[in-house]
Amino acid sequence: MEQQYIRNFCIIAHIDHGKSTLADRLLESTSTIGLRDMKQQILDSLDLERERGITIKLVPVKMNYTAKDGREYVLNLIDTPGHVDFGYEVSRSLAACEGALLVVDATQGVEAQTLANAYMAVEQGLEIIPVINKIDLPSSRPDYVIREIEDVVGLDCDHVILASAKEGKGIDDILERVVEKVPAPLGDREAPLQAMIFDSVYDNYKGVICYIRVVNGRIRAGQTIRFMATGGVFPVEEVGVFRPGFQPCDELAAGEVGYVVSNIKTVAEAHTGDTITDNGRPAASPLPGYRKVKPVVFCGFYPVERDDYPQLRDALEKLTLNDSSINFEPETSVALGFGFRCGFLGLLHMDVSKERLRREFGVELVATAPNVVYEVVTKDGGLIEAHRPSDFPEIGEIQEVREPVIKISLFVPTEYVGKVMKLCQDKRGTYISMDYLAPDRVRLMYELPLAEFIIDFHDKLKSQTRGYASLDYEFTGLKAADLVRVDVLVSGEAADAFSFICHRDSAYHRGQAAVRKLKELIPSQLFEVPIQASVGKKVIVRQNVKALRKDVLAKCYGGDITRKRKLLEKQKEGKKRMKQIGKVSIPQEAFLAFLQVEEDEEK
Amino acid sequence: MRSSRWKRMKKNNFLSDEIGSSLGSISGPFSVYIHIPFCLRKCPYCSFFSVPATPGGCEKYLDLLKKEILFYRAFLGKESEASTLYFGGGTPTLLTPEQWEGLLAFCGENIPISPSAEITVEANPESFTERHAAVWRNGRVSRVSIGVQSFIDGDLLWLERPHNASKACDAVLTAVREGFSVSADLMFGLRNQTLRSWASSVKIALELGVEHISLYQLTIDEGCRWNSSPPSGMADGYPFYRWSQWFLPRKGFSQYEIASFSLPGRHSRHNTAYWRRNPVLGLGAGGWGFLGEKRYRNEGSLEEYASSVRSCGGSVAGIEPVSGEKAAREAAVLLLRTKWGISFDAFSHKYGQAMLDTIRDTLRREAPCDCLSETSAGLSLTPKGMRVANALWSLIV
Repeated sequence: MEQQYIRNFCIIAHIDHGKSTLADRLLESTSTIGLRDMKQQILDSLDLERERGITIKLVPVKMNYTAKDGREYVLNLIDTPGHVDFGYEVSRSLAACEGALLVVDATQGVEAQTLANAYMAVEQGLEIIPVINKIDLPSSRPDYVIREIEDVVGLDCDHVILASAKEGKGIDDILERVVEKVPAPLGDREAPLQAMIFDSVYDNYKGVICYIRVVNGRIRAGQTIRFMATGGVFPVEEVGVFRPGFQPCDELAAGEVGYVVSNIKTVAEAHTGDTITDNGRPAASPLPGYRKVKPVVFCGFYPVERDDYPQLRDALEKLTLNDSSINFEPETSVALGFGFRCGFLGLLHMDVSKERLRREFGVELVATAPNVVYEVVTKDGGLIEAHRPSDFPEIGEIQEVREPVIKISLFVPTEYVGKVMKLCQDKRGTYISMDYLAPDRVRLMYELPLAEFIIDFHDKLKSQTRGYASLDYEFTGLKAADLVRVDVLVSGEAADAFSFICHRDSAYHRGQAAVRKLKELIPSQLFEVPIQASVGKKVIVRQNVKALRKDVLAKCYGGDITRKRKLLEKQKEGKKRMKQIGKVSIPQEAFLAFLQVEEDEEK
Repeated sequence: MRSSRWKRMKKNNFLSDEIGSSLGSISGPFSVYIHIPFCLRKCPYCSFFSVPATPGGCEKYLDLLKKEILFYRAFLGKESEASTLYFGGGTPTLLTPEQWEGLLAFCGENIPISPSAEITVEANPESFTERHAAVWRNGRVSRVSIGVQSFIDGDLLWLERPHNASKACDAVLTAVREGFSVSADLMFGLRNQTLRSWASSVKIALELGVEHISLYQLTIDEGCRWNSSPPSGMADGYPFYRWSQWFLPRKGFSQYEIASFSLPGRHSRHNTAYWRRNPVLGLGAGGWGFLGEKRYRNEGSLEEYASSVRSCGGSVAGIEPVSGEKAAREAAVLLLRTKWGISFDAFSHKYGQAMLDTIRDTLRREAPCDCLSETSAGLSLTPKGMRVANALWSLIV
């Protein structure tokens, strides 16, 4: 297909604003999918996505469209992940396009996420076509939303399209507008090959399939290609396009979107953002914008049944074949036994991965509360990357602790501004700015420690604004903070599993919450058990688990000693399975409950 | 079907013979437990084996029991005689005085009973009569243990007991008047029970002249009616037990065992035999016994019991050998139920010095010192130790 008849575009939309349904309509309208094969939200690749109604990423698709000018066009729809965890993937998807549909829900208005992605699209020079969706709903207020797009995003809405994906309204307008407005891709088809990977997936039969946008040159089967970032060299086995299934073709040339199969074993060898070039005739430089994404949120995954450890490892290995942004390493927990410390791009990414392990690989697991990675500068000038509280050196050896911080932007109805500001302050946020987007909507900007954000910020924001606030964030780096490790001592002995990192100001508060929780979870013992929280050597909170007062069930029917002994033996067995800290026996469930409820502590 | 039944017969036959020969190899005293598995109806908290009484059923059961006694009589050596006999249930008072007369006479003729033997019968207030008392007197019964549970009508109603408080008074009075050494069973940890109402039950028992009190906390075990939907609002047992440990000794009742208080010399010798791991011949459907380092249980349904006794005389359904370390640990747990505790000499003689050291070290290391009372001769639990006995036992079991 000649470049001038190709249009590459993506959809930018907030969760629930109807992206998947709109995509369905576009496929129908261009007869890419026969009605017979149509199922709801066909481009949602994971069962999980279809079920939860959230779309992490749609599969790309190539549509043929005969425009009103009588010419046939190729429209490539590439999706942008609709969640803040995947900011980098969004930027790469945008880089594969020349235009974007900005889809806004006529009943909701612009959300923080949408704005961030729209700005990123503008920054990358994409032509943006505003679409107001769900105008069929009685509560829709398109005029208001149009004004908001003009005011907040700063887009000219003279030619905004009013659509209802559900009822098929405005679909033809969208297709026509894409052809008319989105520029045809540039690029020199005779230049050395440069193709950008905007996604890659693992397929059991074909190995890794790279989704690419060819920027310059051509790519075809039999060619030997090189991945410019990783240096890997592979023969091309197959190239093709998305219909939306994989359909092989002879070649992909500059401006085209498609896939490459080249005998790659893991997605870690084909990073999103990497540039593919011809090994024999390489491009002078890679395409700009590549970086390796680093996980920012960590948590421990442990099998529910200890024997399932190898199964969990296999599952994680398979999962990372698909998603190279997850990393994991073995870890041991006193409470949970053998498991893995896993890193994710964000909370949703973590949730989805956990769910996929469960569904796709049948692994039941326990996830510990998420945490971040700290940098500790020691007095002797060393630098420690602290993944867990036990990585922290003694308090006297610490010069400075740095924690990851984010810049968060919140779109909030004015009536909730006070509450949200309070929330941000409680979470150690630093105020940056506040501006009115509309008379009744405000954009708040704060700098927030990531550690505070991942605990329960989302949930609290939702509950305090009744779901009317939306947020977006970006990492701004590491920042020094007065952080301390709070140790928990059970009967005078430090219990590693219960220690945590927090700001010095909330050490007392959170220490007390942890001690109170443990007091509930640790059963009475023969002795009184003091539970203390300390910072360094200094005890800040103490509570006692009262000694057992009565534990005797004396009934012994007519000399049924066996039954009584079995009960006692069972009790003894149960105790053996408990974790001993000094003389204190702590049941497994207590550790689990503690790890899982840690996030509730501040409530 | 036929072949599995046959196998079972073979099995019973084999097991009963094994227990029989164990009985034959003991010389000296032993205890006999006889289970009478009939009840008017099943109490909601009871997970014990019992069936509704029918006139013909009782008669048939007694015949089988006699057959079982004869079976074991054949094994008995000349030296051995029964030092205690205990008729438990169920509700033994559902047997008529005439049936009792026959049963006691049969036992007297076919079991060598020591002249000084303690013979106990459990009695329930709703079915216990003066005529029972008279027959028991003649049959050398010395102790009557009455299932009072409470002297508060509300408690009895809630427990769905078939008697009321005044019936319970009558029963205790009758037994005391007839000259038996009377024990009363009382329960605590009931719904709406207060320390005051508990105290009044205990005091009434004392005033009526009992010499022994067994107190039990209500427990909802597996297999009872309340197990599937446990009642709510049950009182915490601690204050009741704690108060009893304070009150009863002041009235001359010492706590000689976890659940038992008695006037001097009035402890249950039969139960004490259990705690000392003395040999016990268990008879009847659902009975348990302990002979020659073997704990055993009889068939737990009337049908199985009947067919087993008919075919081979005994009805042993399962044997658990308890020897070596297991025996030592069991012995330590049982001995620590009592105020006499573990005697170092006797224990090391019977189970070895090594086992004694192991158990003693564990207790010294893991138990709070105010739970144990140790002298050069032995080790026992203090009243506080008795309150947390389960936790202590599970250290050494």
